Amino acid sequence: MSAAPVIPDYGSPSACVANNSTFCMDWFTAHWSNLFWPALVQHIELTVIAVVAGFVIAFLMAVLAHFQGWFAMPASALSSFLYTVPPLALFQLLVPVTGFSVLTVEIALIAYSLYLLFTTILTGLREVPEDAVRAARGMGLTRRQILFKVELPMSLPSLVSGLRVTTVMTIGTVAIAAYVIDSGLGSLILKALQSPFNTQFIGAGALAVILALAADGLLVLAGRLLTPWARSRKAA
Amino acid sequence: MVIGAKEFTEQWIIGELYKQALTKAGYNVELKSNIGSTTVIDGALTSGQIDLYPEYTGVILQVLARSRTMPHSAAETFRAAKAYEETRGLTMLPPTPFQNRDAVAVKPAFAKKHGLRTISDLKKAGHVVFAEYPDNMEGALGYREMVKAYGLRNTEVKTLNIGLQYSALDHGQVNAADVFTTDPQLARGGYTLLDDTKGYYGFQNVAPVVRKGVQEKQGPEFARTLNKVDALLTDQAVREMNRAVDTVRLAPSEVAAKFLKANDIS
Repeated sequence: MSAAPVIPDYGSPSACVANNSTFCMDWFTAHWSNLFWPALVQHIELTVIAVVAGFVIAFLMAVLAHFQGWFAMPASALSSFLYTVPPLALFQLLVPVTGFSVLTVEIALIAYSLYLLFTTILTGLREVPEDAVRAARGMGLTRRQILFKVELPMSLPSLVSGLRVTTVMTIGTVAIAAYVIDSGLGSLILKALQSPFNTQFIGAGALAVILALAADGLLVLAGRLLTPWARSRKAA
Repeated sequence: MVIGAKEFTEQWIIGELYKQALTKAGYNVELKSNIGSTTVIDGALTSGQIDLYPEYTGVILQVLARSRTMPHSAAETFRAAKAYEETRGLTMLPPTPFQNRDAVAVKPAFAKKHGLRTISDLKKAGHVVFAEYPDNMEGALGYREMVKAYGLRNTEVKTLNIGLQYSALDHGQVNAADVFTTDPQLARGGYTLLDDTKGYYGFQNVAPVVRKGVQEKQGPEFARTLNKVDALLTDQAVREMNRAVDTVRLAPSEVAAKFLKANDIS
């Protein structure tokens, strides 16, 4: 056999950590850079990919449904079906096919996001006043021009509200992704179950809440910047 | 190359040790930590989602090979586990010195009062309340077989989740408990382990289970690196690393890095 290993000094926990007190600020700050920050970044990445990809798909579906009325029913049925499948069940069903991978997580998150996005985008498009579309047509705009210059800008408020709900929901759902991939804030929560540690639960949970609030705030701001007319109309 | 690790402290640490040592040796390594139970991670290995993971030799025989009886030495257990894995296109590198076995723990005062040294001595204590974790009631190494093997007729069982046995012993809610030998709670002291004279709980050294093609492709440096790490994993070393994660609350990656550095592997 080989020589005995050198066992390094791993130190001892602070009194707060040893007693598993509610929240140990010393431990939280000491592990910000190697635990919480990387998990937060992973959480944001997983969310952004899901929301952006979900938005692109839902957008194309909604525009198609807007132009081709018959498509609205099946698209709505499919997306609402996917919305009813619990994400955790979908993760587990996908694992044998796509493995313990980011792909598995993203497929489930995107499937889950389609319903809200599709519904709000389509509703926005449909609620554009008929007068505005007719006026645009009278000015000689093509169907495509009407979509991009009139209908989309006017449906922005509905679209942004759909994005807000979906983003906040996705940030929450990404936490469950930790059952499939060792990534994001959910992974910290899941691992803290093994030998319960309050600071890790509360730290990771609070970060998820703050992230959701921040993302929502940013989208509100982005919505305002994209629709300056809405504000000037109110001011007038 | 993708390394897998199961969903508890000791596995997160070993996964990190493998990953960091192989990375240092120039390999491009990804670690998928915290993957489900034995059958789940075995499925991930056989389907090619991961290339290797650390497994307990006795677990391979009990859970995967479904053996009805266990070999009588650590070496035989390893040989039997390896032979089983070879039948499935997998192989195993040499095992660690340390084992994470089940054991029966009692409070020292209780052991002294009834003169207990071995598990079968529990008969002398009369009515015994025994803590078992829910997953280990049935099966070759489970509570029911253990009671039968040692002829403990006057035992009452209480199922308690892993980790809760210690406070149940401390508060006198149970007299004896199934514990894991590398659990840091055990290392904190204050418990007496009863000798498993029949070798009932089997042997549980850890060895990397690898797909055969992977080992051939990666060359001799790959096995050499893993063997060097595994040779350092003694009972004391692993118990200290588990304590560093579960009690000092260091991240498994930090603990692994410190250990490898102290032993000149990084």
